[in-house]
Amino acid sequence: MPSVQLFCWHFMAYPHLPEDFDDNFETSWAILPNAMWDAEKSDGLYQEYIDQLVYADELGFDGLTLNEHHQTAYGLMPSPNMIAAALTQRTSTAKICVLGNLIPLHGNPMRIAEEYAMLDNMSGGRLIAGFAIGSGPEAFTYNVPQPQARERFWEGLDLIVRAWTEDGPFEHEGRNYPLRYVNPWPKPKQTPHPPVWVPGGMSVDTMHQLAKRGYDYFLSLRTHGRVTQQAVKRFADVLETHGDKYQPYRMGLLMSVYVAETDEQAREEAEEGVWYFLRYMLKGHLRREGRQFTFGPGINSQSVDTWERYLQNNDPRSPLLGDLQNWDEVDAAGAIIVGSPETVRKRLWDLLEMTEVGNLLIQFHLGNMPDHLVRKSMKLFAEQVAPALKRDSTELFARKYPELGEGDAS
Amino acid sequence: MNIREIEVHGHKIQVSETGSGEPLLYLHGFTDIHGAVDQWQPFHEALAADRTLIAPAQPCCAGSAENPDLLSIEDVEFFYLEMLDALGFETIDVVGVCIGGWIAAELAVRHPERFNRLALVGACGLFVPGQPIADLFYQGQPFNGTSYAGLRHLLFADADSATANDFIPDAKGEVEPELTRYKAFRFAARIGFRPPYLHDRKLSDRLARFQGPALALWGGEDHLVPVSHGKAYRDGFGDGRLEVIPGAGHCVHLEQPDAAAAVIGRFLSE
Repeated sequence: MPSVQLFCWHFMAYPHLPEDFDDNFETSWAILPNAMWDAEKSDGLYQEYIDQLVYADELGFDGLTLNEHHQTAYGLMPSPNMIAAALTQRTSTAKICVLGNLIPLHGNPMRIAEEYAMLDNMSGGRLIAGFAIGSGPEAFTYNVPQPQARERFWEGLDLIVRAWTEDGPFEHEGRNYPLRYVNPWPKPKQTPHPPVWVPGGMSVDTMHQLAKRGYDYFLSLRTHGRVTQQAVKRFADVLETHGDKYQPYRMGLLMSVYVAETDEQAREEAEEGVWYFLRYMLKGHLRREGRQFTFGPGINSQSVDTWERYLQNNDPRSPLLGDLQNWDEVDAAGAIIVGSPETVRKRLWDLLEMTEVGNLLIQFHLGNMPDHLVRKSMKLFAEQVAPALKRDSTELFARKYPELGEGDAS
Repeated sequence: MNIREIEVHGHKIQVSETGSGEPLLYLHGFTDIHGAVDQWQPFHEALAADRTLIAPAQPCCAGSAENPDLLSIEDVEFFYLEMLDALGFETIDVVGVCIGGWIAAELAVRHPERFNRLALVGACGLFVPGQPIADLFYQGQPFNGTSYAGLRHLLFADADSATANDFIPDAKGEVEPELTRYKAFRFAARIGFRPPYLHDRKLSDRLARFQGPALALWGGEDHLVPVSHGKAYRDGFGDGRLEVIPGAGHCVHLEQPDAAAAVIGRFLSE
């Protein structure tokens, strides 16, 4: 029986923001002056980050996750496919999950179909193909008209999957990306095509669109608890309306983890990176303080109805993850789990048992965390946390989802 | 005041009417009836003193349905031609504010025969080298999650004034005003978010096609659409004039309603 799939997610943060960043800049996204990029200090940075992902493969992680962001210190991967290409040549077993390429930002979705097909072949069929709409900051950076973003996204994704599965050349008559000769070379290695993952907040509309097409749902919320359980329940209900049934590998969750020998040591070692991540990286994204683009009314892709529901359930004055004030609040939010192997195991297991989600996408590198700490945390996790999670989840999934087979974990 | 619904190309459009006399078509802007606050203001009432003011809500704003097929200013123009037909106007006088002014100007250069007099208030729509229209969408992201001071600065001469705070208050978690504003942003984003930002580069060269009387009314301290755009409208139209009201900002019609309405009233009865 298959077990929980453990992914190492790297955001590739820019770690050299000045100490007075928070006083002088209202966001680390979109308009953060790139004069602050320090070429000298950044020499070797990509190598360090790629090496950490290679190490995750060596430690036996099931997958490596990358994502696309633009014009931000939060993540230095405007083209995650380039990092993925490097990983295909330096890793051997881990899935490579690009979560995802931002379709509405790009002029022709066929470029994404082509690059993903290349990555799937270059990796021997290890690609998980993620696709996303892009949130406020990206819309801002690439000037994507948000009322049209969702339409562009679904048309583009349908075109990509059709191009992978239907023999070409064929003509695509869509209104956003009309093309006369769709005929990609190469085709992906996996048949019928690489697993397709799409992130979403809590939007039922996105869930329906995914369920209709049989794709998998990555919950992009970072804070966990009852809301996570609600999301799973909601997605399971949506799947049923499409004649489908929930099982753990239909969903993925994101969280951050730092493991050290004891709880005290873990906090001591992690704290600087955690606060750099929360206060600096999330400024402009999941932090109210400053200029926050992610849920901005001026550039949001939500329909009027969805936005109305959001306003009914969210007060713009309520704090977000990046507004956490002290360590107790960090601990309570459940987004960043810091502690001894046993503490981390227990908290992840509680979440797993409550949600029955089969893919955990875990961020180990936080903000400006030094390389040796990241590696130590990953190693402790792989050796002292992962085995128990694997064992217990195998038992849980076998009991709750006896129909699951070895091939179901994507 | 009376509110009715008409159907334009299969989409519901809310039309508000007030006053009596010759019809006057009113195309609203962002901070206006059907925009940030869906109510008549003293400016509208002054215009309606001797005219029937007919104000459709832009698609997606107030009670008008969103039209997913509007992808460009040209789509909006065709939609409005059908709206003129649905409202039964062969020819009409029009007052257009901000985006409404841009739409009015685009319609007038394509179908000059359908417009008698054209009054634009702080209209976007033009490309003036070195004089960019400021970024409404950036300031649409409230500072610290709640403060719209940046947006108020673009829209009013004094961001701290009572008028500015009445129309664009800081976010307080109230669904209705937030949603009304969201809808106005969403319509604006359809035609103005992707560059060319809130303008059509070819419009300047086409303005001379409208030879009827045209007025550009500007607040002297418009922080969103610089006064130079008013001058460009004046110089571009065949029979253009520019009136600048000192001390007022982009929302000159809300900040100095009597003066603004008087200028337009004089122009319409010239």
